[in-house]
Amino acid sequence: MTTDIVMPQLGESIAEGTIVKWLIPLGGHVQKDESLLEVETDKVALDIPSPATGSLSEILIQEGETVPVGTLLARLDYHSESGNGAHEGQSPRYQKSVDPVQSSVSGTPDLLSPAVRDLATKYQVDLSRITGTGMNGRITKKDILEFLDKQALLKEKTKDSPAVQAASPESALGEDLVPLSPMRRTIAERMVRSRQTAAHVVTFFEADFTSVEQARKDLNLTYLPFVIKAVTEGIAAYPILNSSWSKKGLVVKHAMHIGVAVAVDEGLLVPVLLNADQKDLLQIGKEVADLSQRARSKQLRPEEVQGGTFTITNHGGTGSLFSTPIINQPQIAILGVGAVQRRAVVINETIGIRHMAYLSLSFDHRAIDGATADQFMLKVKSVLEQPAWEIPR
Amino acid sequence: MEISQNEFLHLYYYLRLTRALEERVATLYRQGRIVGGVYTSHGMEAISVGYASALQTEDIIAPFHRDMGAFLVRGITPGEVLAQYLGKRTGPTKGKDGNVHMGDLKRGIFAFVSHLADNLPVATGAALAFKIRGESRIVATNTGDGGTSRGDFHEALNFASVLRLPVVFFCNNNQYAYSTPLHHQMAIKDVVERAKAYAIPGEIVDGNDVASVYLTAKRAFQRARAGEGPTFIECKTMRMHGHSEHDSAKYVPRELLEEWKKKDPILKAERMLKESGYADESDFHETKMKVDKEIEAGLEFAEHSPLPEGPEALEGVFAANHIEVLI
Amino acid sequence: MTTSTIAHDVTYLEAISQALDEEMSQDERVFLMGEDIGPYGGAFRVTEGFQQRYGQWKVLDTPLSESGIVGAAIGAAMMGMRPVVEMQFADFISCAFDQITEMAAKNHYRWGAEVPLVIRAPYGGGTHGGPFHSICPEAWFFHTPGLKLVAPSTAYDAKGLLKAAIRDPNPVIYFEHKFLYRRIKDILPIEDFIVPIGEAEIKRTGRDLSIITYGAMVHVALEAAETLDQEGIDMEVVDLRTLSPLDTGTLKDSVRKTGKVIILHEDTKTGGIGGEIAAILAEECFNALDAPIMRIAAPDIPVPYSPPLEEFFLPKTNDVIIAARQLAAY
Repeated sequence: MTTDIVMPQLGESIAEGTIVKWLIPLGGHVQKDESLLEVETDKVALDIPSPATGSLSEILIQEGETVPVGTLLARLDYHSESGNGAHEGQSPRYQKSVDPVQSSVSGTPDLLSPAVRDLATKYQVDLSRITGTGMNGRITKKDILEFLDKQALLKEKTKDSPAVQAASPESALGEDLVPLSPMRRTIAERMVRSRQTAAHVVTFFEADFTSVEQARKDLNLTYLPFVIKAVTEGIAAYPILNSSWSKKGLVVKHAMHIGVAVAVDEGLLVPVLLNADQKDLLQIGKEVADLSQRARSKQLRPEEVQGGTFTITNHGGTGSLFSTPIINQPQIAILGVGAVQRRAVVINETIGIRHMAYLSLSFDHRAIDGATADQFMLKVKSVLEQPAWEIPR
Repeated sequence: MEISQNEFLHLYYYLRLTRALEERVATLYRQGRIVGGVYTSHGMEAISVGYASALQTEDIIAPFHRDMGAFLVRGITPGEVLAQYLGKRTGPTKGKDGNVHMGDLKRGIFAFVSHLADNLPVATGAALAFKIRGESRIVATNTGDGGTSRGDFHEALNFASVLRLPVVFFCNNNQYAYSTPLHHQMAIKDVVERAKAYAIPGEIVDGNDVASVYLTAKRAFQRARAGEGPTFIECKTMRMHGHSEHDSAKYVPRELLEEWKKKDPILKAERMLKESGYADESDFHETKMKVDKEIEAGLEFAEHSPLPEGPEALEGVFAANHIEVLI
Repeated sequence: MTTSTIAHDVTYLEAISQALDEEMSQDERVFLMGEDIGPYGGAFRVTEGFQQRYGQWKVLDTPLSESGIVGAAIGAAMMGMRPVVEMQFADFISCAFDQITEMAAKNHYRWGAEVPLVIRAPYGGGTHGGPFHSICPEAWFFHTPGLKLVAPSTAYDAKGLLKAAIRDPNPVIYFEHKFLYRRIKDILPIEDFIVPIGEAEIKRTGRDLSIITYGAMVHVALEAAETLDQEGIDMEVVDLRTLSPLDTGTLKDSVRKTGKVIILHEDTKTGGIGGEIAAILAEECFNALDAPIMRIAAPDIPVPYSPPLEEFFLPKTNDVIIAARQLAAY
């Protein structure tokens, strides 16, 4: 076997060495650890011992020559002995995952942020159809999300987007992945935030809707305008229910802007009926019908879902009796209205059939206590149960 | 204090083992098989062999880079030392550090860092733990003449003295810190004078006389164990090689080396062993044969040991959290 | 003790004291070392009364010797103790640099020796301390593998992180902000709790942009967020809590949600931790970015003494509001 004799590294800063003298002639025999040659660097002169016993079969660098560290100087034929543990194992360098580079996008305005580029590619959006609201008309991430929301593009994409189909290991598992729409994400975040923020307590009341039933038939209205009317009178009596939480204190709002939760295809919208206390039942009925209809057809303007001071959710519309609604932050209460049902009820000393419904009020116990909430509810209940509703003309 | 035959033969054996091992390491270096620096204790072996042999098993050492003898006395094997030098996975640092930068808590050895005298405050801390817990264990630590110029030397001596900690400070005064001679290192003649400033009892000992080092250390360790606080021991010696093996040390006068060659600690020990009738030439020969065999076996082990894989470099930055039952 | 949930109002400083007290009383390996921490109770009175309770060897007054103290703590830690070292001011930690970066940080990596050491470093400005009693030295150590760094912003985190640091088998530098000592309070549970090292926390959720910060600046960010909220800008406040190892997952999740990010720190800008966070976000969630990454930090100068100079130096609520408005409009 042969081993290479190379110029050793004789100190961290040494780059080269000079061969002063070969102490063993070409072909000569050398013992392991016997001096083989003399090397000189600018720091030191040393005898270099032979790494093995054998014969010097080849001398490549002659005396007097200066060569870099690691240069092959000679070859030694030697009798087999244990290896020096030379090691080949290499491994790929540690790599961080980075976001992949995106392909180009059609209809590209001047400046696209990585986020916009990413969304536009993922959902194949023609950016020329979007008006940017960012700096110098830049299309922002928000713009593109709102555009997608409007187009209900996301909903369709769950069925046929190549991106979704390509990456669906879930279908192989007998599951489907429904991507979260921006509205779903917003609802999720707001609901969780509210639950984490407010100290929710729910109080339940039962109200007799018999007189409401009579009046609504006369006026051709749903129950909701009557509930809104009752709530505005409840707030008039207990204004603190119409407030919002802030660290500095409770901000009690003078205007009564009542939000009404409306179920839409992808989720939930809460259009706001402005100044509800200044409107009569017919006006309320008309506006609520209009807001609900436009919510479902995605024609609400942004300002129509902002500024609410108290919210009503009409979960009874789908047959639900009770609920524990989540407060619409930063408001401090939300009223749930259960299904109106004909029930046998004790009236004085007799039993009669009445139109009854359960009312559920979730309130923020940080802001108000149970007594206040219940007084408010008693007021709402008494308004709803008034024997004769004043019929507006 | 007297030294028994057994004690002296133990010291002699470790002198020879240290000498032979470091000579083997120097040879491997010149063959290009050791890629990093090589720092030996050639001619100074009596200091580390002497003080380490005077300790008890449960004690702690915080050595520095001229203390190969102390590592061996505490039970690090020549095979482990060679594996360490060759960067093998079987070395005490698994290839993460080289040369004499190794330690093992199970054998009571703190690994040192290249920043000289940094090991001294750490040694005092171990002594502090023993003092707080009321244990009778002690700590021995060592640095060179150059190391005593650093702040950590002074902070450690002051700290240990004020708190009367069971730690003994050794100084290997080998006259040179790399190329800097003693008179350029300090304006005092004897390093031991530094101890005075901290009210620490100091002694000067012939660092080439293993019996003297051993007996002096033993006395100091007794003091420490008895709660009488630290001692400082200056061991006078001479660095017979360069600072490291790549350094030809041309700055050291040849005559000085010639003079110290006659004071070689192994020759001195052999003379004393013969005079006391503890051993003769045949015993010396036998020890040499035994030592050589041990080193060859160690080299065999080291060379057959695997190198670490590259990604092993990522391991061990942090200790893993273990669930502990609180006391 | 029953699992009562009775709670009281506790300052940031009291939270630190409580953590030390509780850990010392339930683990006899824990002891304190530092300058003037004994009868005097420490420069900030964190260890007031401790020496009477635990004795002079468990609450050890040392010579003025930062390197010696940290070195000794390392030695004691390797011998099975759990030392907690007090730097009188974080500024003096530079005296112990070697012991921290060369000895404590590298021991486990080199030879497997655990160093369960905590160094408490009272840091930060706003107290007119001048160039040597005000600095934020965390970035020096952020660059050192083998060290854990934590920087609580609330009394709850201060207590939970210190207890976690004491129980950790690694060297941990605990940056306690001097400005917060007596200025903030939390209701703390009576039961034993820790805040795990390595977990950031969303201190306020928001949709429009994220601000990533730590220490006293968390309060600056939260204050700015309130003002911005009234303008319709919803800012998420991410409190790092642990500086090393960074909880990159939480940071990236937040930026993926909002697409816009400000990194805020009291330390000077160049070479600060913010630069590294910006690089991580650019490398690992480039496609989520809807605007350039912004940094708000102190200018690259020593911390000046005179009140108007220091006021100028420190990042303020208004700086955040202005930057957030720009970013929201981008």
